[in-house]
Amino acid sequence: MPALRAEKICKSFRGLFTKKEVLHEVSLSIEEGEVFGILGPNGAGKTTLMSIFSTLIRPDCGHLEVLGLDALQKTHAVRERINISSGNPNFPWSLTVRENLNHSAMLYGLYGRNLARSVDEAVAAFELEPHVSSKFETLSTGLKQRVSLAKSILNRPKILFLDEPTSGLDPDMAMKTRALIQKIYEEQDITVVLTTHYMPEAEELCDRIAFLREGSLIALGTPGELKRALKIGHRIFVEYEGDLDPVKLRIIPGVMDVRQSPGRVEMVFDHSERAVSRIIKAFAEADILDIGIDQPDLEDVFLELAR
Amino acid sequence: MSWQGELNKFLSATYKNWIISKRNVFTVFELVFWPFIGLLSIGLLTRFLQVTDDMVAFVLVGAIALSILQISQIDVAYILLFDLWSKSIKQTFVAPIRGYHLVLGAMLFGVIRGSAVFLILALASSRFFGFDFLAGGLVTVIVFLAGTFITAASIGMAVCISILLFGQRADVAAWSLSGIMMLVSGVYYPVEILPGPLQLLSKSIPLTYFLEYYRSAYGYGSHQVLLGMGLALLYFAASLLILNLAIERARTTGMMLRLSE
Repeated sequence: MPALRAEKICKSFRGLFTKKEVLHEVSLSIEEGEVFGILGPNGAGKTTLMSIFSTLIRPDCGHLEVLGLDALQKTHAVRERINISSGNPNFPWSLTVRENLNHSAMLYGLYGRNLARSVDEAVAAFELEPHVSSKFETLSTGLKQRVSLAKSILNRPKILFLDEPTSGLDPDMAMKTRALIQKIYEEQDITVVLTTHYMPEAEELCDRIAFLREGSLIALGTPGELKRALKIGHRIFVEYEGDLDPVKLRIIPGVMDVRQSPGRVEMVFDHSERAVSRIIKAFAEADILDIGIDQPDLEDVFLELAR
Repeated sequence: MSWQGELNKFLSATYKNWIISKRNVFTVFELVFWPFIGLLSIGLLTRFLQVTDDMVAFVLVGAIALSILQISQIDVAYILLFDLWSKSIKQTFVAPIRGYHLVLGAMLFGVIRGSAVFLILALASSRFFGFDFLAGGLVTVIVFLAGTFITAASIGMAVCISILLFGQRADVAAWSLSGIMMLVSGVYYPVEILPGPLQLLSKSIPLTYFLEYYRSAYGYGSHQVLLGMGLALLYFAASLLILNLAIERARTTGMMLRLSE
């Protein structure tokens, strides 16, 4: 049984005289225990899709099944089994970290020792002990994000939705947050669905990725499958003098594409670190003048998907 | 879900309102300063106009009722207003919580604060203007307060419904609706002096009946408190139903997301 199954989900937002289609017949299935990424540029519909998956808003059409339950009918039962954490989160400003977590736990019907234990565990999991008495409004962006993540595990959800969990964080804090997400995933045996702008984050965390653009699902697969299908990997260029047999490059394991021009060759590999020494050997009869590696990013993927 | 879990869902709104209120210096103004200033101003006006003791009682009952109504309705409205101001509405509505959990929990806090306001104003009016707030007996006070609290909860829900339907700017309703009540339910004057159409409107507002009920203890005619209580309960049930529909509508229109941005 998939953890989540969406069929032809569509959503439009209406103004007084306008109607904007945000999602167009999005269908996908997420397996139990999977970390599933939803990627896309601003306005792609990621947050709307996450909001529909987490039952915060209703789709205009389509069918949604979460943990075997009809999520459009059994919304209450679904909400008890899931949770969500969003980027740039907000909670009542004047409540402290612990008070906000207590309040959230009460919303999920926790009580007594169970409530206290859940809050303590969430505080410990996201290393919030020094900040439990701080008001939410005084916290840094990174700490606010950790409070939101702590809140999202209070009810021990079967599916955790993370909407741009590292949005607005500096690289160090983003890395730490990713490590905490990974830790929670491993310890709590849950399904994680996350949205992100950041390709390395998706690669690091996700088993499979769906790409959304202008409300439509345009690609779905493992990071490797997508990059192979789109021939997007680490781009290595070499500038050289002398003779080069391009066949020697094409047979290097992991090579996805080779483009040659006079004195310059560009190659795409799925793992550049394994390829460099073999590339250098292929240039035995030439002099290497310059060599460089470009990491693929979300923009590369989307440039390819847009073709 | 166990009954303790259900109880905690109710109490979540009470807990949040309590924490926010105790940290907010404005609470003192809400609870003591403004009601006291209002009561004192009205009381001194009666002195200036040299009205009879019965008329003083008439006006002070109105002033006390208005303060209770305002404080209790805002506590129910706070279930959305606090979240609206801190842009955290989706944190509440992504949880397995229903409208009645939030309303009844907030109403409990409103009853506590409203009772405190009543006590403060009743004692102050007794001390400064010789108003005997127990002239009709304890039961009269309890029925009057109960009716006012139920009416206030409906007004608070109307504020929440307005926000869910029309967005953030509708929070102005939180302060406007009790003003309309003041005008048409005879807070400071008998509804008989209102123009015909407004008199009809006043008969549809439960507060009118609870004011008449309390004032009847001071010799001001008859009352139809049962009709008032029936109306108050009807409006309460209808408001709860409409609130749930408004929540679902906000999920459909996307207002739930917009209110969190």
